Order: sequence, then structure tokens, then C-alpha cells
Amino acid sequence: MIFEIIDVIISGLINGSVYALMAVGLTLVYGVTKAFNFAYGSFYNMGGYFAWMLLIPLGLIGGYFSVFFVAIPVFFVVGFLLEKVLVSPLRKYDDWEMKVMMLTLGLSLFMDFGYQAVFGPRIKSLPGMIEGTIELGQVVLFNQDIVIFILSVGGMICFGWLLTNTRTGMAVQAVAQNPAGAKIVGIPKDFVFAATFAISTIMVGLGGILLCQKNFIDPMGSTNIMIKAWVITAFGGMGSISGSLYAAFILGMLEAFVGWHFGMIYVQIATLTLLLVTLAVRPQGLMGRE
Amino acid sequence: MLKVNKLNAYYGESHILKDVSVTVDQGQVVVMMGPNGHGKSTLLKSICGLVDQVSGEVSYNGEDITGSAADKIVNLGVTYIAENRELFPYMSVKDNLKLGAYSKNARANEKKNMEWVADLFPKLIERQKQLASTMSGGEAKMLAIARGLMSDADLLCIDEPALGLQPSYRMDILEIIKEISKQGKTVFLAEQNIPQLIEMADKIYIMEEGSISFEGSKDDAFNNEDLKEIFLGL
Repeated sequence: MIFEIIDVIISGLINGSVYALMAVGLTLVYGVTKAFNFAYGSFYNMGGYFAWMLLIPLGLIGGYFSVFFVAIPVFFVVGFLLEKVLVSPLRKYDDWEMKVMMLTLGLSLFMDFGYQAVFGPRIKSLPGMIEGTIELGQVVLFNQDIVIFILSVGGMICFGWLLTNTRTGMAVQAVAQNPAGAKIVGIPKDFVFAATFAISTIMVGLGGILLCQKNFIDPMGSTNIMIKAWVITAFGGMGSISGSLYAAFILGMLEAFVGWHFGMIYVQIATLTLLLVTLAVRPQGLMGRE
Repeated sequence: MLKVNKLNAYYGESHILKDVSVTVDQGQVVVMMGPNGHGKSTLLKSICGLVDQVSGEVSYNGEDITGSAADKIVNLGVTYIAENRELFPYMSVKDNLKLGAYSKNARANEKKNMEWVADLFPKLIERQKQLASTMSGGEAKMLAIARGLMSDADLLCIDEPALGLQPSYRMDILEIIKEISKQGKTVFLAEQNIPQLIEMADKIYIMEEGSISFEGSKDDAFNNEDLKEIFLGL
């Protein structure tokens, strides 16, 4: 029993770490632009398919190391162009945040059906980054899980460092905290918006590469990811990065416990119940600012 | 240095500035007075690229900057210091100052300006790790001015620096403006809560209902009976 619970905790931590990586990206876009990117889940699948393409049909040398090396700049460009080509032209309208929601909702469906058309409707699997297990007494850890956890946490530490120590990172924070103040000091909003989309696309894309190794690549699976990322952002407090971090680990744990104790079909119900109760009591979420 | 010619500015349907013309020369301290809500702030904001709907002409050192993007204007050396401060609330004092030096030209002189600001505002540097949102009104105002100085601007458009402050802070602000001017910076101020400021002004404008109703030296202003009564309270 005790070892089962330890297993559940570990599983919750690992899922939580990847969710955190992804949700932080989503909340960052909301915090900076006040628009919600509903295509976020489809970019998770982009990560999965991108890795699959490089590793299986193309047989890239160097395995996952090379995949990350190629993926980060590619995802950056994809995110940057998404903002420049599709989002930015909408910003001349007063209700552009709503228009961005509509657009990204459409984009999400387009991408999901596009994946089916290109890669076929059946799920695909990614090879694991690393084989083998470590045994600590009766607890068995998959090396792959350990690596996923380390990479997710490492990714967030990198992200946090960039946000607080680089000029662009500070500009991103400045726009999120006070757009008028950012304009006064001469921060170009257009660049910051595009950079924010780019950074968030890297985060969700990497999340896709990591989690698709455990969960398969499902062309229609983006909805599930979108729901998770949205629940975490709303539960943690829209736009709050620390809120998303806590929320991701809380939900990761909740999922693991509910899945183990009651069965997987209750997982979404449990997370959504938690969300609804939280929002009813505290509409701004855990760490949101009113 | 700064020439504003027949500037009109609008917020949606409201016509705020009506054919406003002002000139500010290098090294001057120019004070704009007038009742609140009559367009003083809008003029400063329009100059700095912070108002979307403007027509007319604003030129800085001969370059036309009418309707230019704010970041371009900051980089040319014109900065706006807001009446309501517009700080980054969840960042430290230090980071607020660093962001003041965001523009390309400011970056080159960031170190030098940081030393200058530290000299002028020793209290801010003592609290450099404190979050901007936790500062008192007067301190936040000082931080807003300090952040503006970090932009390395030659022309500082300072909007109501003393509004809502205790008298002791007003004197500090007066001293700081003297110091800024001593460094060769040009200062264009909207302010009417510091009578002593008029003593150091090279030129005074009065704005009423979106138009300039008076332009002249401080002596002209002191000799004008209406002005004395209405604005100077003498």
C-alpha cells in the first residue's frame, strides 16, 4: 500500500512538472496580451509529431538531443509567426482579444484535422528517451520519468531565469504588469507580443515531446491537453506564473490519486470539480490578482 | 529643440487639444500651468507618442515625430514621466530603473545614469530590492522621475510631479528639477502646485480648455493681473 502511494506521488510529480511547463506558457500569453490562445493544445501535438518525424521517418542522428536542438528554434519561429501573421492584424480592433479567441479556436481545429490528414487518424508512439529502471527498495522508477521530470523542471528554471535576467524577459514582465508604463519606457509592444507567443510555443512544444513518449501522439488529443492547460491557468489565476506552477502540481497529484483510487474516468471530473469550486469561492484563482 | 505647431489631439469623439503651438529650447525649463482636465497632460503625452489620434506637427531637433511610435521617440531622447507614475508594481525598484534604460541609446549610458540617479535619490537605492507596489505615494513619484532619468533623455516631459504630495516632497521635487536642469537637460513641466517653480522657469504657458491662453516669461506672468489672481494665488 505505502509503495503504491509512493508510486502515485511520483507519477503526480512527473505529470505535474510537464503540466507546469505547458501551463506557464499559456498563462504567460494571457498575462502579457490578455488574449487566450485556444490553439495551445494543438501545439502540444505539434511537438509530438515534430519529434516523431525527425526520429522515425527521417532517422535523425543524435536522438532526442538533436530533436531538442532543432525543435527549440523551429518552435520559436512558429510561435513568432503565429503572432505576426494571424494575431497581430487583429489587434487594430477594439475587441481583438475576443477575435483572437475565435481565430485560435479555428486554428486548433484546422491543425487537428491537418494532423489526421497528414499523419493518419491512428495514434503514433514516440520511442523513449532512455530505457531502464532504478529500484529503490520496492519502489521502481523509470529512468525515462526521471529524465522527463529533470527536463521539465530544468526548462522552467531556464524560463524563469530568462524572464528575470534578460532585457527581453524583463520587457515581457513589464508589459504584463503595466502596458502603459511599458510604452512610456519605450518597450515595443509588437515585439514583446510576438516573443511571448514564441516562448509559449517552445514550452508547449517541448511539453508535447516529453509527454507524448508516455501517452502516445493522438491527432485529436489536443482537446484534452487544452482542457488541462486551461484548468491549470484558471485554477492558478489567469496570468499568474507562480499560480500556474502550484496549480500544475496540485492537479498532477489529484489526477494521479483519483486515477489510482477511483479509476481514470473520474480524473477529468475531479479536476473540473476542483476548478469550479475554486472559481466559485475565489473567482481570480489561487494566486490571481483581482 | 521641440516645436509643436497647431497640434490637435482627440480621445475618441472628444477634441482635447485645439491648435496648440509651443516651443521649448535646449536647456530651458518650461512650465505649463492651467486648470486640471484642460489638456496639459494630453499635450505632454501627444509629444511622447502616447496619444493615438493626433494631427498637426511635432518636431524634435528638426525631425518630424508627429504620431511616431513611443519607442522611437524615447530612443530619440524624449521621455514622459507620468503623473500617475505608471511603475511596474511587482518588480523591484532596481528593475524599474533598469527598464527605464530599455531603449538602445539609454542602454549605452545605463551605468552612468544609474550613478547619477543614485546620487539624486539615495533613498531609492537604499530600497532597491523593495517592490514598487509597496512604496508610498511620494517615494513612488521619486521612482517614476528616476526611471525617466534612466532613459538618458535630453527632453523630459514631467507631468504634475507634485500633485497629491505632501509639501515636504514638493520641495524635494523642486530641488531635483533644479539638479536635472543643471545637468543640461531640458525640462517641460505641467505643474501648478509649486509656486517656487515659476522662479526658475524660462518660459510659462497657460492652457485652458485645450488652447494656450498665455505664453511669456515669468516677469510677464507676474505682471499679468488675471494670471496672478487665477493661477498664482498672489
